[in-house]
Amino acid sequence: MRRNALLAFLAAGALVGLTGCGSASAPPAGSGKGTSIDVSLNVVPTVRSVTITPAKAKFGDCAGGNADLNTASTSGALGYPNGHCWLGRPKTSFPITITNTGIASYMYVNGANAVPSDTGTQWTLCNPGSKPAVACTSNNGLSPGKNQYVVQNFSPNRKLNPAGLTNAVACDPEFGLTSGCWSTFGQSQREGLLLTGPAEIGDTSTSWTVTVTWTPVP
Amino acid sequence: MYLRRLLVVAGAAPVVSAALVSLAVTAGASVGVGVQAGPVLLTSAAHPGGSYALPAVYVVNTGTQPEVVRIRIDRLSAGRGLAVPPSWIHAGPGVRLTAHQSARISLQLVVPADARTGGYLSDVVAAGSGTISEGNANLGVAAATKLEFRIAPGAAPAGLWPPVPGWLEWAAGGLLLFAIAFVGLRKSGWRIRIERTAAEPGFTDRQEGTP
Repeated sequence: MRRNALLAFLAAGALVGLTGCGSASAPPAGSGKGTSIDVSLNVVPTVRSVTITPAKAKFGDCAGGNADLNTASTSGALGYPNGHCWLGRPKTSFPITITNTGIASYMYVNGANAVPSDTGTQWTLCNPGSKPAVACTSNNGLSPGKNQYVVQNFSPNRKLNPAGLTNAVACDPEFGLTSGCWSTFGQSQREGLLLTGPAEIGDTSTSWTVTVTWTPVP
Repeated sequence: MYLRRLLVVAGAAPVVSAALVSLAVTAGASVGVGVQAGPVLLTSAAHPGGSYALPAVYVVNTGTQPEVVRIRIDRLSAGRGLAVPPSWIHAGPGVRLTAHQSARISLQLVVPADARTGGYLSDVVAAGSGTISEGNANLGVAAATKLEFRIAPGAAPAGLWPPVPGWLEWAAGGLLLFAIAFVGLRKSGWRIRIERTAAEPGFTDRQEGTP
């Protein structure tokens, strides 16, 4: 008896459910055939983003080093002590284009250790000049010491970034000359880099990795 | 001594040369990464010892090169608030994204029992592995959005039951509603009876409802 009641209840429930579905989907009496139009709407960016597009270029125009020791730079090879190479050239060539593809943000930049392929001793970034994040240890703090190097960026708007890049993210002074490093949607900056090598090299690796990263920040 | 220095120079020169060869970049391709502009917020206060699911963070590859986007926690934004120790945030694994593809990465806040109370502020940084490189020279990208929450005094409320999957909660809820409806119907006095008679030529099933 109870089983029968349960079956009846389930059947009734199913019936009610089906009826409900039917009524919900039925068009109202007297309604005509509906038409619709597609309307597209563009909205402002809702992301914070950056895109980098490099032109075809590579570090070159190297100079410096010590010719007496046969360690002077050649056009495509960094010499030492403290040889330097350019990616681009101030006033004339800026191979890296950094574009703010999102909402207005502060554009930060940072470097990183130069990593040899044998995972041996890395080159660390240092900063010449006053108030360095990491002091350079050669030439009274003006040049990288042993296993140190300097990366400085530059743009059409500004001379070389005197402090150079650090491992920690910091305002990219090439962006927003009058407002810190504030950048708006679509704003782009062309930049180049100058790399100054160590006074001495403690690793004999044949391959190194150097990274520069741009980060938009709220 | 001079000869020794020359030997060192001879050994080191190819190294530096190779490093420069690797510092070349190519044209045409681009790398980019984006993160949601809105901050990642925990709407209610957290408590020491508690664990909280933060809203998953939206990330997008804005470049033309595939990349893996990973999350890290770093204090970059200016503002008031204690810095969030990165170890408190457990982010989901990195996601591999093709050009202009997006995804969400889950975040879990795990507050130690001895955490200081107050407001916290840091940034969720989405870093793209995609780099423009030729050899080993990399130009990288990342994007940051704020991470904010508050830790209130008092221990986190302990759950009565161990955590269960969401689908199980729904199933249990549905079953409970069905049971309540069934009991209610029985109590109301409604009866639905189905009688079956032996199959005969011209047999009939009779259904009857009585209030």
